[in-house]
Amino acid sequence: TLEPHFTDCISRDLETFRCWWSPGSLHNLSTLGALKVFYLKKDSPSSEWKECPEYIHENRECFFDSNHTSVWITYCVQLRGQNITYFNEDDCFTVENIVRPDPPVSLNWTVLKISPSGLSYDVLVNWEPPPSADVGVGWMRIEYEIQYRERNATNWKALEKQPHTKQTIYGLQIGKEYEVHIRSRMQAFVKFGEFSDSIFIEVTEIPNKHGLVPFTLVVIFGIVGVLIVILLIVISWQQRLMMILLPPVPVPKIKGIDSEMLKKGKLGELNFLLNGGVLDGLQPYAKELYHEESWVEFIEMDKENEEGGDKVDNCNSDTQKLLGLPHRNIDGLRAISHPDDDSGQANCYDTDLPEHDTQMLIASMLPGQPENHQASLDAPASETGERPLIQTQIEGPQTWVNTDLYAQVSNVMPSGGVVLSPGQQPKIQENTTGSEREAQKGGKKSEDCEDNEGIEDWKKSEPQFQLLVVVPEGSGSTTKNNAQQTSTPPNSPVPGPGYQTIQPQPMETKPAAMTDGSQPTYILPESPQSQLFTPVADYTVVQELDMHHSLLLNPPPSHSPSMCQPQHPLKAPMPVGYITPDLLGNLVP
Amino acid sequence: SPVFVVLVCLAFCSRLSSMKAASICTNGQTGCHFISLANLFDRVIQHSARMHGISNDLHSEFELYFLPSKNQIGRVSHNCHTSTILTPNGKENAQRIAREELTEVILKLLVAWRDPLWHFHQDMAQHHEFNNFSSNKSLEMSDMVHELRKGVQKVVEKMQMLGIISPSIGNLGTPEALLASDSAEWRLMNDYDLLYCFRRDSNKIQHYLKILKCRIVPEHGC
Repeated sequence: TLEPHFTDCISRDLETFRCWWSPGSLHNLSTLGALKVFYLKKDSPSSEWKECPEYIHENRECFFDSNHTSVWITYCVQLRGQNITYFNEDDCFTVENIVRPDPPVSLNWTVLKISPSGLSYDVLVNWEPPPSADVGVGWMRIEYEIQYRERNATNWKALEKQPHTKQTIYGLQIGKEYEVHIRSRMQAFVKFGEFSDSIFIEVTEIPNKHGLVPFTLVVIFGIVGVLIVILLIVISWQQRLMMILLPPVPVPKIKGIDSEMLKKGKLGELNFLLNGGVLDGLQPYAKELYHEESWVEFIEMDKENEEGGDKVDNCNSDTQKLLGLPHRNIDGLRAISHPDDDSGQANCYDTDLPEHDTQMLIASMLPGQPENHQASLDAPASETGERPLIQTQIEGPQTWVNTDLYAQVSNVMPSGGVVLSPGQQPKIQENTTGSEREAQKGGKKSEDCEDNEGIEDWKKSEPQFQLLVVVPEGSGSTTKNNAQQTSTPPNSPVPGPGYQTIQPQPMETKPAAMTDGSQPTYILPESPQSQLFTPVADYTVVQELDMHHSLLLNPPPSHSPSMCQPQHPLKAPMPVGYITPDLLGNLVP
Repeated sequence: SPVFVVLVCLAFCSRLSSMKAASICTNGQTGCHFISLANLFDRVIQHSARMHGISNDLHSEFELYFLPSKNQIGRVSHNCHTSTILTPNGKENAQRIAREELTEVILKLLVAWRDPLWHFHQDMAQHHEFNNFSSNKSLEMSDMVHELRKGVQKVVEKMQMLGIISPSIGNLGTPEALLASDSAEWRLMNDYDLLYCFRRDSNKIQHYLKILKCRIVPEHGC
């Protein structure tokens, strides 16, 4: 059961207040006028209950005007029936505690700013304080709370309470409609008034601005891109410009000779260098010269006249030897050997050179090369580290004078001169061809200089580089490449020192035993022993191809009489083909 | 944009110059900082608003330990020791009485609450059932009453200097007034009543100051 009670008492302006009551469900006291409102104003100890100063029966409301309203004074209200008084102590209050201000009026909004992206904007909302609240006199201090939401959303978003009559809402989205309302309350109090009527905020897209922003962005990025492209072009063209303006001129680098020195006309020193003079005084100078050019092809300065060239091979003579005739194949060789690039290689066969120019010899072999060869030769199966260097006989009646066409650079002088090993000077010319000749030679030369002692000594020396080219008998399918392959005969019965005398007959089975499956061309050694004792060059000259497509190489020079001596100059630990200058004299026949 | 910078500079410099020109103080005091009466009023009004806010918070906290009442009245009738001070109970009353009376009421209230609040803070610090938050607020409240009283006295001096009000008031800071306020009535109040009463009185002070300002210097934000 519910007895009559007060539903609420509210003041809007801190000057008046109203109270509403409800009759409850008790009995038929809903008739108007049956209930009466009495109030007590505790402003003095002797205060009394008084009846409501103003009734509004339609609303069941009791209105207290400003004359009957005192702030900061406790009021108590009660309902009285005919014989019953309904009073609740909770119905005591002070006016300032029941204040709920009216909502603000005249809500308005303006767009503050639209974001550059054109997607969001800020809005400034302004309003007027409620007219009922006397803010002007300062009687009421009101603070406001704005709430907003999207049109179809359910939850309101509230901003911070603040006492001013305007506030900015940030981050609204273009194209969406927003609903905004405001409520107010007294500062430092709890109870809010009712919400104002809602206003609706909406900002639609502005196509002009929307078009401007990306346009400017496109222009900016376009300019930046063009600048980058120009930069790249300048950078790339810069290199081209460098190439055009400063092309790399091939400068002939002469070992041991400085172009500055030539300019100065110091011919004395020039001659000195050309002679390969080994003087300690010149060593540092020369070293500095080619310190950084160790792998540059050395060009040996040659003299026009063949004089004193013990250590320097004469270009002309070599050329002639190679070709057989002094000047017969010069032209041909010129065509062959004339290099297209002008990177420092001088044409040895250029007979049009003026007299004051010197002819140059290309020495391509460098001391380090034989080791490479040995490494490549290790691939085929070899039981010994030593392989007999086998050279083919020379076909064709050719007489050779002292030096060979090729000369191996055996050493580089500190002074800048190149020591060439004149090693292979084939004196024995035989006209036999084919393996029969080789067999004969093999048998013949095997008698020569079989000095085990020498062999052992030779074996004790450093691992030798040996070129073995073997030609199988009757094998038709041989290629040039096979001739270049070198391998020791896989025959196991190797004599102690590792030196082998290759017989032609077992050779037939060898191709089958070859692991690599190819049928290399075997060339029987002529006289491996004797050749071993000779300062065999690490390379030899390919004479020509015989009918079996085997390379016929120049036979090594035979220094058999001198080489058989126990005092073998090669007993000194030195690899074959490397000749020191002091030993050079011994080798030159 | 350099033009904009120059304009900003000009505006700012003009402001500074105006302030500088206004720094010429009366009474020949050197180095004093000139504040207008309206500015003074604004400061004390802000101060009183803050004081009332703190008292409201403390009262709400206290109500958690008691039964929360509907209109924050409480079941026990309150007997505030400041009930003897006659205060205008409405807007018209506050506007009707003389400025000097209104000012006096304000000062009386402020003086009356200095000691009770100080003791209240001492009690709060000793009783550890209240958290530090309440203890700090009580200390702040006590300090603010003291500060506000001094501020209002400065406003009164300025008003008297400007001839707005008669110099008959202003003796409340004297030792005689202090002795008069040192009555034992406030010791009868319990903490809850004290908070309730101070909350009410701080609200009064706030409203009275606002009314006074708009009566004396109405052109500034009234």
